[in-house]
Amino acid sequence: MTPAEDVSNGRPVILSLAGLSKSFGSLKAVDDISLDIPEGEFLTIVGPSGSGKSTLVRLLAGLETPSGGDLFLREARITDHPANKRPTAMVFQSLALFDHRTVGQNIEFAMKMKGVPAAQRRQRALELLSLVRLPEAYYTRPVTQCSGGERQRVALARAFASEPEILFFDEPLSAIDYRLRKTLEVELKELHQRTRRTFVYITHSLEEAMVMSDRIAIMQDGRIVQTGTPAEIYGAPANRFVASFMGEVNILTVERGAAGGATFAEIGQPAEAPRGAYAMIRPEALALGDGPVTAQLEVTQRLLLGSRTQVHLVAPSGATLISELPGSAPELQIGTRHAFSFAPADIAWMET
Amino acid sequence: MTGARHITALRALWVTAILAFLYVPIMSVVLASMANTRYMRFPHKVWTLDAYREAIASFTTWQIHAISFWIAVYVVIFAVLLGTLGAVAFARFDWRGRSVFQRLLVLPIFFPQPVLGLALLLSLNAVGLAPSWKTAIVAHLVWIVPIVTLVISIRFFGYDPAQEEAARDLGANRWQVIREVTLPALWPGIFSGALFAFLLSWSNLPLSVYTSGPDTPLPVWLFSRTATNYSPLVPSVAVIGTLISALLVVSLALLLITARRLRAPRG
Repeated sequence: MTPAEDVSNGRPVILSLAGLSKSFGSLKAVDDISLDIPEGEFLTIVGPSGSGKSTLVRLLAGLETPSGGDLFLREARITDHPANKRPTAMVFQSLALFDHRTVGQNIEFAMKMKGVPAAQRRQRALELLSLVRLPEAYYTRPVTQCSGGERQRVALARAFASEPEILFFDEPLSAIDYRLRKTLEVELKELHQRTRRTFVYITHSLEEAMVMSDRIAIMQDGRIVQTGTPAEIYGAPANRFVASFMGEVNILTVERGAAGGATFAEIGQPAEAPRGAYAMIRPEALALGDGPVTAQLEVTQRLLLGSRTQVHLVAPSGATLISELPGSAPELQIGTRHAFSFAPADIAWMET
Repeated sequence: MTGARHITALRALWVTAILAFLYVPIMSVVLASMANTRYMRFPHKVWTLDAYREAIASFTTWQIHAISFWIAVYVVIFAVLLGTLGAVAFARFDWRGRSVFQRLLVLPIFFPQPVLGLALLLSLNAVGLAPSWKTAIVAHLVWIVPIVTLVISIRFFGYDPAQEEAARDLGANRWQVIREVTLPALWPGIFSGALFAFLLSWSNLPLSVYTSGPDTPLPVWLFSRTATNYSPLVPSVAVIGTLISALLVVSLALLLITARRLRAPRG
């Protein structure tokens, strides 16, 4: 079994990156990335701003030319093909809708460039409007009169109209309010399931990636530091960078050469702890009461999160921890001390 | 409510005052054109349209209009071409020396026009060009191109350059990107730039005085006849000239509205 078949469960690889690099002066925005994307996958590339994820997707779309490496579409080399010669379409961060045109004209743009007759274009545009759940009456509406969510849908329909083999998304939901973003995330996932196209999605939000993706690649400083399914990344982050990306988690240090390092000892040292490592414990894994590894912790802050309660805790050593418990946990008042515990199996170990 | 009525009355007064301030001088030119004396004096003893008959019958009237018209037409063509390219360089792209270019570009606007006219005449002499209506075109361009460039540049503020990338990504080649995205976005700026160019050239006196040589554009003729050999012919020609430029502007606007109606999608 080749590695390509391994990640794709037998599906053929549609896009293959071979040592792809892009430098701007002395800055290596994309640094020697090799990755196979199987057909029909929803791949999300996650990274903070400046990690090179936007440059990477622009390389894939043909909007930037790589400084090194190669790109293959179904084994055909497309490294030097410009954007208009690639069977891919991008949904831009700004959406980049054509402001002086109607919704219909925006959607029909790619077909117009291909010379599709007007009646046929209109037919297809109306189909795409229903695909993205916009009423047909929007066909004649100027895009400047559409709301934020409607503009997202128009951008999506416009990208689909070019019949792309791969769709790229460059953080299109980043400027949208929380509730609408959540709705659109689910819609996008459904659209992927219905159309079975290959989606490559860029975002700085691991939460967004978790909701939508089949597979996640995490970028840091122009390199991919970890790829895996959402469950794999959630369960075993490759390093502290990935772990800290997941939001509020407890990361504890075990000093190299000192098993039972000062910080960790306060909570309890499991026998199988390797030396010189970092331990990640999720807030929900740190439970109230005695357990395999127990420590006395003082409550310093208490936040009600609806169905759960988050408490900030401090160990006698001064180390701070976060725990999330179901319900309102009325006994956990600020200033009180309680026994908290976790199981060694709940620790994700990281070398760096 | 009396307060609301007061405000309405005040607003009407204000609007009337503004309109009077703008239009009374123009009306006085119309009134002056209907006199039969060589002196501007109100009220007239005799009201007559003789000056208009004389103006229309005179070859000079049509000659000065033709000269001004052709200067303005060429100025529009070159100013729009250079202004559009300039605006692209000015506002769309970032390059080394852009800020210097931006400052140098607007400098001629701040130069007093009579001084600029004299400077241009001296330069024309230096390179051995005889002043004529053609050199007046060049002179007008020096002053008008920066203005047109600025007017078109304004369109680039609030313009998302990613639109061009999106068009390319959706299969457009370079020329199609310009035709389908860049030009339509710039078009309102190009239209107002052309209008500005025409009107600024049509009414320009200080640059034409120095650089048009033996060819006399309308404003130069009006100025010299007012100064030396005044008769009601002067205001009547001025009224005709104003009507012509107003007619041009109105018909251009109508043309644009009709074109927009025709292009608007049905359904």
